[in-house]
Amino acid sequence: MHRRFYLKLLLVSSIALLAFALLAAYKEINPEWKHYQNNYKELFMKNAKDEAMKEKAKAFKVEVQQLYIEKLNRADRCVSCHIGVENPMMAKAEAPYKKHSGDYLGKHPLSRFGCTACHQGQGRATNKEEAHALEHDTHWEYPIVPLKHIQSSCAQCHDYAMLEKNGADKVVRGRKLFLEKGCLGCHKVDGAGGILGKALDGIGTQPRAYFPMRYIQGERTQSAWHKEHFLDPRAIVPESEMKASINDEEADFLATYILALKSTEMPREYRRIRQTETPDMSGEALYKKYCIGCHTTGRESYFDEIFNRTIPSIMNPALLKSADNQYLKKIVSEGREGTQMTSWKPTAAGLTEQEIDMIVEYISKDRPAAKPEPFDVAKFRADVKRGGELFNIRCALCHGKKGEGELGINLKNPVVQSADPEFLAVTVRDGRAGTPMPPFGKDGVGLKEQEIADIVSYVKTLSQKKL
Amino acid sequence: MNNNACCAHKDPHKKEPEGVSRRDFLGLAGIGVAIAASFTAIAGIFRMTKATVHYEESRKFKIGMPAEFPVGTIKKLDDKKVFVFADTEGLYAISCICTHLGCIVSPTEWGFQCPCHGSKYNKDGKVIGGPAPRPLPWLEVSLHEDGNLVVDAAKEVKKGTKFTV
Repeated sequence: MHRRFYLKLLLVSSIALLAFALLAAYKEINPEWKHYQNNYKELFMKNAKDEAMKEKAKAFKVEVQQLYIEKLNRADRCVSCHIGVENPMMAKAEAPYKKHSGDYLGKHPLSRFGCTACHQGQGRATNKEEAHALEHDTHWEYPIVPLKHIQSSCAQCHDYAMLEKNGADKVVRGRKLFLEKGCLGCHKVDGAGGILGKALDGIGTQPRAYFPMRYIQGERTQSAWHKEHFLDPRAIVPESEMKASINDEEADFLATYILALKSTEMPREYRRIRQTETPDMSGEALYKKYCIGCHTTGRESYFDEIFNRTIPSIMNPALLKSADNQYLKKIVSEGREGTQMTSWKPTAAGLTEQEIDMIVEYISKDRPAAKPEPFDVAKFRADVKRGGELFNIRCALCHGKKGEGELGINLKNPVVQSADPEFLAVTVRDGRAGTPMPPFGKDGVGLKEQEIADIVSYVKTLSQKKL
Repeated sequence: MNNNACCAHKDPHKKEPEGVSRRDFLGLAGIGVAIAASFTAIAGIFRMTKATVHYEESRKFKIGMPAEFPVGTIKKLDDKKVFVFADTEGLYAISCICTHLGCIVSPTEWGFQCPCHGSKYNKDGKVIGGPAPRPLPWLEVSLHEDGNLVVDAAKEVKKGTKFTV
């Protein structure tokens, strides 16, 4: 009945199957690496100087080459195409026949390290596209590391002192930038650091799928993501609050360091971390590590568009004059709730008491010798209601109707709320030079002392008000 | 039947004197191609049974530059289970795996001694006592392109084969 139809179907499907089978057979017989190995053999014959080497070239067998390293659980077939990496006669050849640069293989023999321990990529692949995995649509999670970031791999086994001495300048400079640009002010590494950003432990081994690639202009790889994100965080992650003001070169170095923050460790016998560095515990180094990202030099307050609030100048002499170290330590330890200021105590951002003391000491190093004139707030009988009226006229414009802060700081936060009334009164009276906070006492706006005392008493009630 | 309409003028029972009919051709071609396709597919499947590479460490390994092996050297490479010797005639490598049950033999004044069942070999690896069925194999030594000596534990050579640079 439909015999003819079925015969046609059989014919068409068989032809399709045959075509696929032949295509597969062709690919099996003519893989990419075979072409490279044939070329290599020819080149080897040409470059061989003596008879022995010519014999060797002649005896070269074209087949899949593999470095299996049991201790690293790696099977790297990269050498199927990069066939001349160990052959000095290939020093001047082109990639992929070229000898490996430098003397790296002398100290890191292929039989022990393979390729992907340093270069990453898909060691098991036997064609370039999938081995390098640079194209996003290969969907492999770990693309090959671009050579400009390759030093991130050295840090798996070597300490930074050794790397600095031996010219691994990129990862060393990246680390220096990381520690001096205040990255840890928002990001935790090894349990210490701010909480506004993501913890960065193991970020160097995060698979590609972890990074939103939608707005990436270049290659959709982790390293390209880091670089573009460093140059303009909000172009890559629109809702990001990250601060980054670095140039193109610095972005490369930082990306190299970030890629070195791996979650996997090389086996013990591979690691060569000889000197354990004593971390720089000076107040200045700690300030750079944790504070400089937001507070910059600490000398000027500025309105931050992204945080939508003023970031106070914490080394302002006017502040230091009225705030003692104990008060500063309290702010650093507890943070300012309701703002981006993190609580830095050991149980929160993970700094030790000692580190906080060092930071406070550093911040207060330029404290003026003269103490402010005492206000003696206790002798006034304050009128909270009157204070509220005055607050709405004088303070609400900057500090918000309920003290929630905008241009001025948030007055509802626990540190202000638990501050000594004397300190608050002095601040209102004398203002805060170097910030938009003017003096409200007789030297400025001209409020009476009684009025200032009223305002202070009202400010102390702000925490009970709901937003 | 509609699909036979084109051939209606022919008598289906009458034998075609020349060539094959269109339907027969279709049938033959269909079955032929199907068989060919199946054969290629099966050939492909059989190809799968033979692994191109295995997940095992290469048995060919570098042992260092020739200068590291002056005459008189006796070196035991523990992780590779090989002895390397250098004498006036050249370099040679002897496996240190006992041919009896695979223990690691140790060198003595007169040759090699197996600690497990007392097999004894002379300096050339020849069995001089104990249960060992075969002499210790001599392994191929060659030179890598980069100047290192290479021992191939998978390739046995004739006793007395010595490598000179």
